[in-house]
Amino acid sequence: MNCLEFRRQIGAEPSASGAEIEAHRGECPACARYQDELRAMDALIGRALAIDAARIRSIRARRPRWLALAASIVIGLSVGLALWISLPRPSLAREVFDHVAHEPDAMSGTALVAPAVLAGVLDPYGTRLRPGFGNVTYARRCIFAWRVVPHLVVQTPQGPVTVLLLRHRNVSEAVRLVEQGYVGVVLPAPRGSIAIVGRDQMDLDGIARQIFEAVDWGN
Amino acid sequence: MNGDERGTDGRQRFATLCETLRPDLLRFAFWLGRDRQLAEDVVQEALLRAWKSFDALAEEGKAKSWLLTIVRREFARSFERKRHEVTDLDALVAAEADVLAAEDDAGLAEMREALFRLDDEYREPLVLQVMMGYSTQEIADQMGLQRGAVLTRLFRARARLRQELGVTVEPSS
Repeated sequence: MNCLEFRRQIGAEPSASGAEIEAHRGECPACARYQDELRAMDALIGRALAIDAARIRSIRARRPRWLALAASIVIGLSVGLALWISLPRPSLAREVFDHVAHEPDAMSGTALVAPAVLAGVLDPYGTRLRPGFGNVTYARRCIFAWRVVPHLVVQTPQGPVTVLLLRHRNVSEAVRLVEQGYVGVVLPAPRGSIAIVGRDQMDLDGIARQIFEAVDWGN
Repeated sequence: MNGDERGTDGRQRFATLCETLRPDLLRFAFWLGRDRQLAEDVVQEALLRAWKSFDALAEEGKAKSWLLTIVRREFARSFERKRHEVTDLDALVAAEADVLAAEDDAGLAEMREALFRLDDEYREPLVLQVMMGYSTQEIADQMGLQRGAVLTRLFRARARLRQELGVTVEPSS
């Protein structure tokens, strides 16, 4: 199986497995990452499709008794889903570093992102950047831990820094990250948290403070 | 055979099936037709038809697939009975905004809207695969397509979603 065959199959069936798939994953890290990302996207699609049936029924005034029973089943399923979601997951630090490692080219760009593109990434989240944020050279919406999140790279005097705006992940206090040439910090934010990652020779604290204060999280 | 002849046991088994599977059927019908009123009507009618032919269900383990097939057929019938007007997608989204809403999760709401806007030919196989857990062969059987056509539709469905959401998935090689 070559890369094209792999991506054709995985693009239609991200959960596919088997000897050929595993063999290609083993020899091609890029294709393995591609499958991992698509699986993460499928998890998001699954959550998006799983609309509470009670909402669909909400247009009806009459509710037969057996509908109430069905509702209790839905609640039971929801509780089950919540428990499933709350199962131990990779640490936030691991997820952040994995994500940064998945997109190594993001750090190497130098061209400024057009304001319209930046707005397209941030506007859905009601988030804006104040002037002190710095020059943004990468702005995409990425799948991170089953959610779509803004992924930015900002140029600083000490080099490029990756910023992930994680509105869905709360941390009670700053979490420091150190791994293989990178340093990072996840800070509690008015909405969720913000992850900031740079090269390990940086004085990240000062940079992180400046970036954090330059994000307007909206209402 | 009518309902009385099936007896209490038959009625009870059917009621249990309905209670268990109705939420999935409603979700499926909603994503099929993008209209909650239509979804409710289609599922109601499909369950009535299912009750009438309950004896045709040989294995209750296949009930979900059997009921989904009936919902699909009923949905097609509803189009025959009443030609649904092609509505502006923005209006459709607005009409179902409270169903699509995902409080405090803008990304999830965006994905729902992107799925809602997906063409029928791409949305249905994706729903069957991701929400219902169907294999591509089962989707092909359900939709009366070749498996290759299903694979193409699923590939394009995900590509369109990525494009619609501006999501980066494919890493650099």
